[in-house]
Amino acid sequence: MKTDIVVPALARVEGEGALYIRLKNGQVDEIQINIYEPPRFFEGLLIGRYFQEVPDLTARICGICPVAYQMSSAMALEQALDVDIAPQVSALRRLLYCGEYIQSHSLHIYMLQAPDLLGHESAISLAGEAPDLVRKALRVKKIGNELMRAIGGRSIHPVNACVGGFYRWPNRQDLTSLQADMEWCLEASIETARWAVTLPYPEFKQVYEFVALHRPDEYAILGGEVISSNNLIIPISQFEEAFLEEHIPYSNALHSRTASGSPYLTGPLARLNLNFAQLGKQARQVCEDIGFIPPLQNPYKSLLARAIELIQICAEAIELIVGYNPRGPSRSEITVKEGEGTGATEAPRGILYHRYVVSAEGMIRHARIVPPTAQNLARMEADLWSLAPNILEMPHEQATQACEHLIRSYDPCISCATHFLKLKVETNDG
Amino acid sequence: MTVTRVVKTGLVIVGLGQEIRGDDGAGIAAVRSWQAKYTETASHPLIRVELVETPGLALTDILAGAQVALIVDAVQSGQPAGEVSLVEESQLETYSSGTGTAHGFGVAETLSLARSLEPAKLPYRLILLGIEAGDLGLGHGLSAPVEAALPAAARFIQELICRFFLPDSTA
Repeated sequence: MKTDIVVPALARVEGEGALYIRLKNGQVDEIQINIYEPPRFFEGLLIGRYFQEVPDLTARICGICPVAYQMSSAMALEQALDVDIAPQVSALRRLLYCGEYIQSHSLHIYMLQAPDLLGHESAISLAGEAPDLVRKALRVKKIGNELMRAIGGRSIHPVNACVGGFYRWPNRQDLTSLQADMEWCLEASIETARWAVTLPYPEFKQVYEFVALHRPDEYAILGGEVISSNNLIIPISQFEEAFLEEHIPYSNALHSRTASGSPYLTGPLARLNLNFAQLGKQARQVCEDIGFIPPLQNPYKSLLARAIELIQICAEAIELIVGYNPRGPSRSEITVKEGEGTGATEAPRGILYHRYVVSAEGMIRHARIVPPTAQNLARMEADLWSLAPNILEMPHEQATQACEHLIRSYDPCISCATHFLKLKVETNDG
Repeated sequence: MTVTRVVKTGLVIVGLGQEIRGDDGAGIAAVRSWQAKYTETASHPLIRVELVETPGLALTDILAGAQVALIVDAVQSGQPAGEVSLVEESQLETYSSGTGTAHGFGVAETLSLARSLEPAKLPYRLILLGIEAGDLGLGHGLSAPVEAALPAAARFIQELICRFFLPDSTA
């Protein structure tokens, strides 16, 4: 579908959404995920700002994954300004990201998707039946928040990250005091994966083009190459040529497709399938124990993918905490100059890509931000097309729940939208 | 106002909201207004002040450690914008969270979960002060009636503190 919308708009899709399904002569004729949260124009408001403001400004796009925005923007600006980052800074960035993954994944696994699989309308109702489970989730989430606070200064919109590194090194004690909690978190995440594999997932298998960042020697989160299950291997700098965004008339969030016009999937399923060989020994051992072999092609099972990632992340966090011994400046010197740079990191929900053009005075002249949730919207609608024939015979409430669950299995930000999902099935047998 | 006797409990005052969504910043603004006007009480060693934007489930941790809590937040109950009123926790389910919460875990949901799972973390007394919102659209700044209500909200906060937590003082 081609549109002539001229005003650029980037809407983070946390918020309200509606689903519209139209039938004609008994067949599905149209499906729309209508994201009508107003666009927030971050790409516009960044213009004219000083480059060092960007990580803090873009962090406000999301309260659940602010670190992803800070890291993607910092890396893009560091490329634009030819800034080298010390290995210790990279390690601390990864540890900060671990905190974000822990709190985001635990929230989604236990509080957002598990209720769907266990027949509960919410985590509150689930807590009534399985209090220990939800208590565990709250403790895991809190540990993730504490790690973010220890490094970033606070867990919501951390303030310590900057272009070039960090404003200050966290005290070693502030991190080592979290080691015992993190070790508990690792055990809890292993239990979570063992439990996750037993859940009653709906049978639903799709053929996806998975897209993820990749590094040969680690489970990629910060940078790398962009790869796909269709044999794409490109540098991050070619992201916008390989993946195209388009305006959709019924959505304030852009939709993404590959250059060949196909929807694609980014996020935990993509990462796990494409980077399985890069998992550490603890995660690999649990996969073996539970009989998990990739590829995973059921979007409802993204909960299992997140659970396996949680093991990986907790194990890495322990290693990074133990190895934390800061030396030298906490951030690199920056010589302000004109430049353009790209950066991408794997937010908990998928690839988050940034590009900036910077003036000789260090002011932003152009900004481009592609969030993972928007990238997955086209794929989400394609999944609903596949699901729709199966749900049309269901009672309306059950059909609504099936669609909400599918959307919710994709992404916590979308599940905020689907909390208010209104399903309208319009029949037109004319 | 003179503080003459300290109640042997810890009090936390929490201003909640989202300053980027218009009147949803009313709770934070009201607590700031109280801090500016009643500086002596605000700096009392047993009173902790937290200004928090969409804490979601973390609200429980913010309240933990305090024996008494006063939460100030914007509400939507059909009253005229700027109306300041006490809200009982049992009434919270009537305040729908809408899009302004962290994935559906607003005050009502978080407290409900905490009461069920971690009751020991919660204060023994929880008081909620609601400021009726007018405009919750995106944008910084309060609507005129809510802005005008801030002095009254600050007085209300001070009265509550004096009445329930520092009974020998005067507002």
